[in-house]
Amino acid sequence: MFLAWNEIIKNKLRFTLITGVLLLVAYLVFFLSGLATGLKNLNREAVDNWKADAVVLTEESDKSLYQSSLTIDQAQEVKADETAILGQMSAIANNGDKKTNVSLFGIRSDEFLMPAISEGDPFSADKEVVADASLKEDGFKIGDELSISSTDIKLKIVGFMESSRFNASPVLYMDLDTLNRVKYGEAVEANEDRINAVVIRGQEPEKAVSDNSLEVIETETFIKNLPGYTEQNLTLTFMIYFLFIISSVIVAIFLYVLTVQKISMFGVMKAQGISSFYLSRSVIAQTFLLAFVGVAFGLVLALATGAFLPAAVPVSFDIPTMLIYGGILVVVAIAGAVFSVLTIVRIDPLKAIGG
Amino acid sequence: MTVLELQQVTKTFGSGRTKVEALKETNFRANKKELIAIIGPSGSGKSTFLTIVGGLLSPTSGEVILNGKTISGMVERERSQVRLGEIGFVLQASNLVPFLTVDKQMKLLDQVKKGNMDNKELKQLYDDLGIEELRKKYPADLSGGERQRVAIAKALYTNPSIILADEPTASLDSDRAYEVMELLKHETKSKETTTIVVTHDIRLTEYCDKVYKMTDGILTLEGNGDE
Repeated sequence: MFLAWNEIIKNKLRFTLITGVLLLVAYLVFFLSGLATGLKNLNREAVDNWKADAVVLTEESDKSLYQSSLTIDQAQEVKADETAILGQMSAIANNGDKKTNVSLFGIRSDEFLMPAISEGDPFSADKEVVADASLKEDGFKIGDELSISSTDIKLKIVGFMESSRFNASPVLYMDLDTLNRVKYGEAVEANEDRINAVVIRGQEPEKAVSDNSLEVIETETFIKNLPGYTEQNLTLTFMIYFLFIISSVIVAIFLYVLTVQKISMFGVMKAQGISSFYLSRSVIAQTFLLAFVGVAFGLVLALATGAFLPAAVPVSFDIPTMLIYGGILVVVAIAGAVFSVLTIVRIDPLKAIGG
Repeated sequence: MTVLELQQVTKTFGSGRTKVEALKETNFRANKKELIAIIGPSGSGKSTFLTIVGGLLSPTSGEVILNGKTISGMVERERSQVRLGEIGFVLQASNLVPFLTVDKQMKLLDQVKKGNMDNKELKQLYDDLGIEELRKKYPADLSGGERQRVAIAKALYTNPSIILADEPTASLDSDRAYEVMELLKHETKSKETTTIVVTHDIRLTEYCDKVYKMTDGILTLEGNGDE
């Protein structure tokens, strides 16, 4: 560390530039990771709130909640520690001032899908709904009468709940009967026992059904099959992985150029008996120091940026994930220093001193 | 007391028609407190001799014995230890680390080797070499002569048994060159070390106890520096 630190102190501008590049790469990685987490949450937070082990859908629905349709009679055959029925539809909600995409969830208020209320009251009567708190930022409030696309029925917001979005839309929870009236209109009587899924909690969920037309899907698999979810995550994850490679290459190039400039100096030091191990350790220590500082500042900058972004930007920073990514960045930077270490090991002191 | 001994040492580069005998069978001995000059024209084999003595190059045949240890048969890692512990180098181009102050040049050696000079001895060394005022300066802030004096200090700091100086005055004007030779002579005597100076400048030999001449790989004793 002695050589590494003293070289940094003497060549502040040079090493500030290298650290600056690492900082920007780290910033981008952290920001993308925040975006990835935010977009994930946008899709899954309602499902995460269920704290369920699995979801039962019809086998022919191909793991899609939207395409699944079963009866309450079928749901009663599902055996698990806890079960909860779920009806679902997507719609546009309009409070007379603003329109927004929403996901309507029909449930029974005495089952575990009933959300925790953060403001207002739980739904208790017909046509009452509890809305995701993100709707407040769009101007929706308690008492609003909501027009729902494709029906004349109006729903009234009686309360709000935190973090409850599904497939990028805020959720409106209501009684199953209300949902079915909205969903089927005049045909409700023929469909009043229709639901989309049964959500279950308990051990060995795969044994929950005996009906061959139903399929038990673990919660994580259910989420991964949400439209666009996996594709979106893979895209962002690949971008992050490429940034790891890019940062490694950047560090490798910078350090290699610096090492080549110092070949003569390293050669003289080796002639004096200073080992390749000591010199290599110095380069590694220097890389660690630069990468650590760059990544730390990148982290702070990303968090600071996140604090000033409008709520419409779906960024959510998951600190443990960011720390793991930061650690990976430091490790790949050190991997980038390997070329320099190999160069040092190969330096012939005899040539360096002109022998 | 013999510090360094070369027994029937040869060095050959290449083979067949490209074979070059850089050092023909050489026997050599250097004693404690001796300042020895190796003179000769370029390409005569002086540097080959110095690099073999310094453990940077293995001889083709023969033995190099430093303080009773045969270094010519050692592997590079062992020779590296010998160079660090027992040999001080003063090179033509300054062998200073550009981003370390004079003081830190010595601290670097503390990082890699124990048993170096203590603070009192270092202060004395700085005074002897007239570089006390330069302690906080970087090599780029020093003149050529100052850099060579610091390089000598660095070579002496590890208490080596032998100092090898390769054209240590090449980049200096005459006055500075004489000054450096005077310092080498003084330190060789006062620190009871042995110094071998390779040079093509015959005027510098007047400071030396023995002068050897290298001609086409053959080393011959010319006499002492006064002759």
